[in-house]
Amino acid sequence: MTEDSGASDRPEPSTGSSGVPDPSGFLGGAGGHTSGGPQQPGGAVWVPPSRLSPLVLLIDPVRMLPSLFLPLVGVLFVGGFSPSSFVWAALGIVGSVGYTAVRWATFTYQVIDDRLELTRSLVSRSVRTIPLDRIRGVDVTTPPLHRLFGLAVVRIDTGASGGGKQEGELDGLPLPEADRLRETLLRRSEAARHDPAHIATVGGGSRPEHGPAAAHTSAAPVEERVYVRVPWQWLLYGPLSGAFLLAPFALLGGAVGLAFQWGSQFGLSEKVAITAGEWLWQRPILLILVGIMLLLAMPVAGGVMYAVFNWNFTLRRRGSSLVAERGLITRRSVALEHRRIRGYEIADGVLERRAHVVRLWAIVTGLGDSRTRGQLLPVTPRHFATKVAAEAIGPFEAQLRPHPARARQRRLFRAVAPGITVAAASFLLGWAWIGLLALVMAVLGVPLGLDRYRSLGHAYDGARLSVRSGSLPRSQAVVERRAVVGWTVRQTWFQRRSRVLTVIAGVGAGSGGYAAIDTGEEQGVRFAAEVTPDWMAPFLTGTDNAPSATRN
Amino acid sequence: MTAPLRDPAHRVSRRAITLWLTEALFGFLLLVGGSALVASWIAASGWSWVPTWISDHIWWLPVVIAVVELPFVVIEPLWRYAVHRWELSGDVVYARSGWFSRQWVFVPVSRIQTVDKEQGWFERLLGLATVEIRTASYAGSSSIKGLDAGVAARLAEDLAHRAHQLRDDAT
Repeated sequence: MTEDSGASDRPEPSTGSSGVPDPSGFLGGAGGHTSGGPQQPGGAVWVPPSRLSPLVLLIDPVRMLPSLFLPLVGVLFVGGFSPSSFVWAALGIVGSVGYTAVRWATFTYQVIDDRLELTRSLVSRSVRTIPLDRIRGVDVTTPPLHRLFGLAVVRIDTGASGGGKQEGELDGLPLPEADRLRETLLRRSEAARHDPAHIATVGGGSRPEHGPAAAHTSAAPVEERVYVRVPWQWLLYGPLSGAFLLAPFALLGGAVGLAFQWGSQFGLSEKVAITAGEWLWQRPILLILVGIMLLLAMPVAGGVMYAVFNWNFTLRRRGSSLVAERGLITRRSVALEHRRIRGYEIADGVLERRAHVVRLWAIVTGLGDSRTRGQLLPVTPRHFATKVAAEAIGPFEAQLRPHPARARQRRLFRAVAPGITVAAASFLLGWAWIGLLALVMAVLGVPLGLDRYRSLGHAYDGARLSVRSGSLPRSQAVVERRAVVGWTVRQTWFQRRSRVLTVIAGVGAGSGGYAAIDTGEEQGVRFAAEVTPDWMAPFLTGTDNAPSATRN
Repeated sequence: MTAPLRDPAHRVSRRAITLWLTEALFGFLLLVGGSALVASWIAASGWSWVPTWISDHIWWLPVVIAVVELPFVVIEPLWRYAVHRWELSGDVVYARSGWFSRQWVFVPVSRIQTVDKEQGWFERLLGLATVEIRTASYAGSSSIKGLDAGVAARLAEDLAHRAHQLRDDAT
């Protein structure tokens, strides 16, 4: 980063902390002494307790406006727009501004030794301590208002499973400071973890070809490398993913909800709504028109929303993290620690497969909400996505092995049988229409089942294993061998009769388990044994071809 | 021919059959009771859309369910006893469970995060215990039910001790 020198001595802590004797400064001082001075092992400068930028004081009241609006209007109405009512409303505004000011003044954050402390001493003093070695990712987002003032929101992901409780949020840092803090946190968190002899396990996995991956472990100056800048033309692929297709309906629903909520304030009652509904109902052409317009709006609105969210998508490597940045209005930047990435997932729906485009996610240990945070690429052409995945994480070139023909029968049966059953039951009960509908579903189940079978596959290339399944959304996961924490082999009674089974690789990242569905009995167990021979070999039968533990 | 996996070395405790039998009996009573409730509800409702050949014989529902289910109350515990097995060797926990459907779990001790020994009140009555082995993934986690309490305590302790020695934080 170029702004580093300027950011280390920012003006705002001096203005803030000189006035208020800060309790956390006391604590921080103690921590600082034990660590022996300002120079930390990670090479970062010891940071005194700092506050958020005072500019948030300008943002917060604006953000509170919507929630304040109704009460304020209410006060004005009740007071009959008398002078005193304006005074009360003004008091309300002043009070809320004062509240944000006090909140701002009493909140500090500080990096001490190996932890980040967020201190809030509004009424009671609360300190949230986040050990640096638990930090798994740092998000920097810039919502529109923040961007106006050059601020950012920093979210610290600790991978704790207890919802958002354990995570830290710093809302309103100057952008350079936010970037600097992210670098500090990620670099220090890595340094904290590298103190013990973890390097062996980290380096022991298979690293992709490029040298920097191995070299970056020490706190080298932050190097940057842009992997991808997604050209805007590719945003046109967005609607194929089906993302935001329901946006028009959601907008309409939101509008109706708002109309009801606000309407009552302006004397619109339910009666009016009901008569409006009846009026519309008697004009079916209008209804149909509205429906058609909504349907037409689906891909357009979906595409627009998609473009807004994925505008100027860039994926770069900064130091030891992968940073994905995207968004037109709210610029969102997610940093994933490279050390924690265990693989990737490639997904494509039916339409996307037609256009040969895919989406790409990283599989990261302890990353909550991995489907939004772990996104590495929006919808892009397949060959491009595989290239990026190979470059940023690691290549996987092995051919997927198909599953036995019995698996096809099972996929077909499972796609067709529900429709047939419902159809039979409905005809028996004399509901012809539902029966017909179910029959149509059953017929559609044939191509679906066949496609599901075609999707099935698994492979291992010596460093990574891969499984693929699904149809309407099809997804292929590629996971490093060292990320596997165990195996579960499942066989239902029906699978037993078809002599197939499902092998699930337990992975402490992403969705937790990646399944090779309906492999042959021999094939599935051999697959697990191929990936982790030393775990499985003692339990295999058939001594002739028990894989010897050559690898590892 | 089944999956090319040998049987794990140890059976669970014989008293586990009693445990499973009780559980199955309890489930059986719930199911039959529930279906009887449904039957009485449909009989009393007088819905016109239900065909008469159903509503006239609705009381067959709990009877049929009871007759079909009853053998399984006995079969399930015995079948489970035949399937449920476990083994710890080469620093890998290997366990098999299930009856109608079955499942094999392989958990290397080096990836274990927590080991719990649990006892429900009925398990305690029978002197049984469950060992729960957790890793960072649900698919690498396993619980071995129906162990003799002493065996379970020893296994849990061994695993915890060994896991501590082998701790591998690659995940």
